[in-house]
Amino acid sequence: MDTTGAAGAAGLTRAADAAGPDGGLADALRQHAAARFSGPLRVTGDPGGIIFLAEGGICGCQTPGAPGLEAILLRSRRVTEADWEAAFSAAAVNGRPMAAELIARELLGAGEAEALLRTALADAIFAVLGGRVDGWTEAPAADCLLPLTPPARPGWLLAEATRRSQALAALAGPPVSPRDRVTARPATLRASTAHASGPGAGTGEADVLALCNGRRTVRDLAFALGRGLYATQLELARMRDRGLVAIGSYGADSVSPDGLSGIPSKVGDSDQTSAGLPRRHADRPAAQRPGTASRRYLAAGIQLLRPRSAGSGAPGGNHDPSP
Amino acid sequence: MSRLQASLRQFLAVEGVRTAAVIDIATGMIVRSVGKPDPDLAATAACVADEARVAQGIPSADSRAGDLVEIATVTGSRLQVSRVLQGTPAPGLLLFVDLERGKSNLGLAALQISQLSPAVLA
Repeated sequence: MDTTGAAGAAGLTRAADAAGPDGGLADALRQHAAARFSGPLRVTGDPGGIIFLAEGGICGCQTPGAPGLEAILLRSRRVTEADWEAAFSAAAVNGRPMAAELIARELLGAGEAEALLRTALADAIFAVLGGRVDGWTEAPAADCLLPLTPPARPGWLLAEATRRSQALAALAGPPVSPRDRVTARPATLRASTAHASGPGAGTGEADVLALCNGRRTVRDLAFALGRGLYATQLELARMRDRGLVAIGSYGADSVSPDGLSGIPSKVGDSDQTSAGLPRRHADRPAAQRPGTASRRYLAAGIQLLRPRSAGSGAPGGNHDPSP
Repeated sequence: MSRLQASLRQFLAVEGVRTAAVIDIATGMIVRSVGKPDPDLAATAACVADEARVAQGIPSADSRAGDLVEIATVTGSRLQVSRVLQGTPAPGLLLFVDLERGKSNLGLAALQISQLSPAVLA
């Protein structure tokens, strides 16, 4: 383990070791909590992020891996953009915390703000710990836009992250990664599988299906919908089991002949892919499309009409280069 | 002092209440809880959140029936009242109250819980 710095209460600037899937970050957070550390902790990796600590508790986490409270409130239309911007400006001018401004303007209740901040914080910590952790360092002081008051205990957040990982692992089928791409299955295929396995898409699922275009990842969908990463992973896993979406594993170059990974494949032998496109069979000759033969004869006719080049004795330039 | 915890403590005054908690329906996470420590509360919360999510997803035969408001569960020794807290982004938050069956009346407890619940998120 590389201990290159000793700044701050806990004195930790470290490269990740092999202490666990999180590279030892969970232990580091416990040590910072025990040392009652205050300040930001920058975590490098994928997605990485910044964890804000106050007196050993965790009061915020910014990560590109999970939507924060701002994205959740705006995307879910719980708070309009105009109201958010007005509150943001007023908070900046008055030097007031953003959460207090939202509560003062009656855009959120105090209890609701705390509940949503705790939910978003748990999701962000889960995203950071569930990704790749290369290392962490105590960063220079920085402000957290929406700090949780009072801060959450690291032990509770770590236990919640573990519970979520276990719950995802226990689901049927391959685990849904934040980087997997999601495709809505065509309505005809959805209808056939949904009939066998339960009700079709509900109203909330219709919103998800509208965004599953095969290019968005699970993480992208969480941001677009204004929902937590874990909640989106869970919902997509359930929708995959019901045949509503197909989930392509991260790094897969192409869709397998039986469809994207993790779908109960009922279309493997059909002539259509899960996305509804014509299937190409490598072991079969290309299908003769209508009009192919007539186009070939037309091209041959055009060749006959071309002027003969000098020395060529046959139409179409059957040229003999010999003297 | 947590505002959420302070408002949840009011439920402990209701006859027979063992535990009161706010649960995130989307994830099954206990956001805050008060009352007697219960090692099974995390598992119970996940199950209650699943029930609420399924109940919210069932299309009603009567479109005028409205959204899910409350789920009541009765076991041999317990009464559990789960009430959807209005206002939060869908699928929302759930107020979960666990009561001793021998010390509680379901109708009265549900009434008292419904009267106290608007203060939880305020």
